[in-house]
Amino acid sequence: MAVPPLLEVRDLSKRFATRAGRDPSSWVIQQLSFSVHDGEFLTIIGPSGSGKTTLLNMLAQIDSASDGEVRFQSVTAPINDPKALNPGLSCKIGYVTQEDNLLPWRTTLENVLFPLTVQGRLNEQTRARAQMLIGAVGLTGFEKHYPHELSGGMRKRASLIRTLVYDPPVILMDEPFGALDAQTRTQLQEDLLRLWNLGRKTIVFVTHDITEAIALGDRTLVLSKSPARIAGEHRNAIPRPRDIRGIMTHQDFPALYQSIRAQVQ
Amino acid sequence: MATWERVDGRARTRQAGGSLRSRGDQLLALVILLAIWQGLSFVYGTYWVGSPWGVATRLASSVLSGEILRHASYTLIEAVAGFLIGAIPAVGLPFALRRLPIVTAILDPFMVGGYGAPKLALAPLFILWFGIGIESKIALVAITVFFIVYFSALAGVRALDAKLVQMAQVMGANERDVARHIVFPGAVPYIFTGLRIAMPYSIGGAVIAELISANRGLGYLIQLSAMNFDTTGVFAALVATTCIVFMGNCSVDAAERRLLRWRPPPELNMQAGS
Amino acid sequence: MTSHETALDLAEPSQVKWRQCAVTAGRIGLAALLLGAWKLGADAAGPVYAADPIKVLQRIVSDTASGSLLRHIYVTLRLSAIGFAIGCACGIALPFLLRRMPRLTNAVEPYIMASVGVPKYALVPLFILWFGIDDAPKLWLVGLLVFYPIFIAVFAGIRNVDRRLIDMARVAGASEAMISREVIWNSLLPFFFAALKIALPRAVSAAIIGEFLVGNEGLGYMIESSRQSFDTTGVFTGIVVATALVLVINAALVRIDRRLNAWRPVERHMEV
Repeated sequence: MAVPPLLEVRDLSKRFATRAGRDPSSWVIQQLSFSVHDGEFLTIIGPSGSGKTTLLNMLAQIDSASDGEVRFQSVTAPINDPKALNPGLSCKIGYVTQEDNLLPWRTTLENVLFPLTVQGRLNEQTRARAQMLIGAVGLTGFEKHYPHELSGGMRKRASLIRTLVYDPPVILMDEPFGALDAQTRTQLQEDLLRLWNLGRKTIVFVTHDITEAIALGDRTLVLSKSPARIAGEHRNAIPRPRDIRGIMTHQDFPALYQSIRAQVQ
Repeated sequence: MATWERVDGRARTRQAGGSLRSRGDQLLALVILLAIWQGLSFVYGTYWVGSPWGVATRLASSVLSGEILRHASYTLIEAVAGFLIGAIPAVGLPFALRRLPIVTAILDPFMVGGYGAPKLALAPLFILWFGIGIESKIALVAITVFFIVYFSALAGVRALDAKLVQMAQVMGANERDVARHIVFPGAVPYIFTGLRIAMPYSIGGAVIAELISANRGLGYLIQLSAMNFDTTGVFAALVATTCIVFMGNCSVDAAERRLLRWRPPPELNMQAGS
Repeated sequence: MTSHETALDLAEPSQVKWRQCAVTAGRIGLAALLLGAWKLGADAAGPVYAADPIKVLQRIVSDTASGSLLRHIYVTLRLSAIGFAIGCACGIALPFLLRRMPRLTNAVEPYIMASVGVPKYALVPLFILWFGIDDAPKLWLVGLLVFYPIFIAVFAGIRNVDRRLIDMARVAGASEAMISREVIWNSLLPFFFAALKIALPRAVSAAIIGEFLVGNEGLGYMIESSRQSFDTTGVFTGIVVATALVLVINAALVRIDRRLNAWRPVERHMEV
């Protein structure tokens, strides 16, 4: 039985506004098409500057598209009109950005509770969930700390669970573990998979690290250089639960790695 | 964390070493200054110069009799009331006009003009309008404080981090949420800078207006003592005025420490680098 | 501000021009509105409380013709200038002197900083008592009000001079005087100019307010004596002229500052 994809992207294109008197700027993304299924962990790889963040911005409806279509749950999202944008699609799409974007004037706990406060969903259950998530990423004891008192890795973790706490059906992640040291990164990858397993959310995870893409994803899309299109799609059959630390020793790993590597310029 | 402890530790040891000696120097300097004053009072007479001892005793008796506290509270009320009446609209206006940059642009030269113009020169006008009572002083303080705080609040509202707003919007924040949770807290440090600058102006403004024309307050007390050739009284009132300014500074500091706990201390910024 | 609004910032020239026209029109409109409100307010409040703007204009013209207005302006400006010169000189000299005596500086610093908290205007009655009712107390006032920002700026500027530059100059054999002149003075120039922009208008304001309290000439005297004789038009005239004077000085300073510092690529915000 064919279930329609949760998120569908068709011929998405984007170029930035130009100053008058100059030639129109080149396309950042051109005719990009792919779909994401419910409960899927999709990883997207591309060279830097290939518009990965722009793509996520459009999916999250922070940015408008110059052309193309995005459909969520079979409903077209209004991404062509800058004025009609609905960021986060009424909290259906969560977005973990590259910078942690924690509010400096809120403590860790207050930051994690922030989306619940704004959505009016703050109650015993959601508070308990927040506390559980804080424990899950090892931030117990730092609830009353301000962001400037936390290390970069800790801020990243806080930013991650801040999106997880309100349970959006789709979560976009923009190289969330990029700036971290290898230890923390591996730990967080494991934590992420464990948390994802609990709820089987749909995740679109952007990274430049092929190993990470293979370790985490059910499927990996490769973006070409600007103007970005889908250069290739790679199914990842490595069974779950996966051993993140030892992923490279899995028998399917080398072939998968090579085929992805070949497409990433 | 370890890096920060190191920074703190280094700063602390640097203080501990030279501190005792410099404190001793400062105490010595104070004694010398007071001695010079006392000496001058012998040479020129307390009539002209007052003396440390005379001023101290006058202050004590004035405090005990309640006289100076009465005048001080009058001045303080003027300063505080004027401060609030001036500062609240000054903070409110940039927020209200946040989404109307054209209006802010239209207002700009008028605000700059108001800021640059000598507000204290309006003192006689306010006395003409409101009489020599408390209202004229409050009005003067309010208009002085308004322009100072307006620009600080404007800077604070403008310093908005767009990324934080986007983040909040993705999480379902509406305009009011953004204003309440993002714009306002971000602007508070800037507003505080303005409040800190405006505070001495509020007390100064009240005193000046009282100097020109009043029947109560520390400025009035100074003027009255001077007209009676009561130098000791003048000094006592001056000391009281300075005390109020000092108290005002302390209040602003205390409020800032509480409300701006979340700010990273300056050294940390340099350490963080990236 | 979502990024679509940032895109709007890259608006086309026609849009930008429209905005500028709207802003200018708005400003002219607001100015006209304020003047209109002044006229209406003056008519409503009566001649005791408010002066008709047209009468104010007439008074300005007549006072200029009679020379009395120019005399008042001259007196005030002369007072400001002399007081400014004194305050400035002391404000510059003292930090350089203190530089040679670090122990004394450290001992005295808290008291200097505490004295900043004393409202200088409150000292005027004392000055009148000590120095009489001529220009002297006003000069002291202006001098003090100019002294403090200049002193603090130069003091902080000297403190912030890069140690290495001084050491390097010393190694090269420069005398203390030469170090003071070349290295330190140039380093603190931006701080000094920032303080100058504050101190100069302050000098004029201080002169005017000093004239409220003592003396028989000058813009401040004109305003206050008008008030005492219930000459509201005179009060308004004086305030208008005084405000215009200070605003003109401010504008001139901004222009001079821009020209002098045009070659400085980065250091615009030397806020002390």
